[in-house]
Amino acid sequence: MNAAAPDVRLTMPARPEGVAVVRQALAGMADALDFDATVLADMKMAVSEACTNVVVHAYDDSNGVLEVDMLADEEGLTIRVRDHGSGIQPHAHHSRDVPALGLGLPLIAALSDAFELRGSSGRGTEVRMTFHHARDGDPAEEHPIRGSIGQDGRWDPDASRETHTN
Amino acid sequence: MDANSIVLDDAAGDVVVVVVEGEHDIYTAPTLRERLGEAIGRGGGIVVDLTGATFVDSSVLGALLDARRRALEVGQGFVVCVGEAVEPGVQRILDITGLVPVLPVVTGRAAAIDAARSNGDGAEA
Repeated sequence: MNAAAPDVRLTMPARPEGVAVVRQALAGMADALDFDATVLADMKMAVSEACTNVVVHAYDDSNGVLEVDMLADEEGLTIRVRDHGSGIQPHAHHSRDVPALGLGLPLIAALSDAFELRGSSGRGTEVRMTFHHARDGDPAEEHPIRGSIGQDGRWDPDASRETHTN
Repeated sequence: MDANSIVLDDAAGDVVVVVVEGEHDIYTAPTLRERLGEAIGRGGGIVVDLTGATFVDSSVLGALLDARRRALEVGQGFVVCVGEAVEPGVQRILDITGLVPVLPVVTGRAAAIDAARSNGDGAEA
């Protein structure tokens, strides 16, 4: 089955409505590659978070581009999410007055079998995630998300989970 | 009929249920924030029912956590519920973020409505 799925490149405006389109394309690709439903669920979540980062943080205006590449090999599927923006620093004024929770990258790290972040100021950012057909274990146990919601409404990696239990 | 809907159900009287169905992300999070704002404005307990949700991302969690904080500040109960069988696109993010006891998340709308009545005014003391 693996040989039947071509590599895919999506290029679209970096806008909120595009993230669901990427998930649909990813689901089609993963179906063609016979991925397990649990791995597909992790893929959809991680890729959504990477695309959301581009939509929210990459550009000062709404004319930026979101690029997604899906590259299949024997081991699994590698997805690259790229922008040509100003870097990974959040633009607070560009997120509809709602500060980001700050959980995107921790989620990507926890859900993917391999993860790499590349970027430099002014040259855009690339998030590269790989998902294996046969997993050795749960990546979320290897790279667990630490912390909990902080007093300021953002994710605090140092917050104790127990103290926030009602 | 929108498969990715967010509607308020006030059949429970003093507790308003925000029914979230389908896939929700950065695109629908602003609508969710609006609906949650309306629910808080009604003054009673709030339940967010994710039984029919198939996917929620961190934008949705952010909206839920903000609404929870605002509700508890003014003494309104806030509870999230899921069904007996939870979609991986919902269960996974709740599990790995450890937010089940925080939000909190319970199984079943009826249990959530009861909990929202008791974790509001008075229960925080």
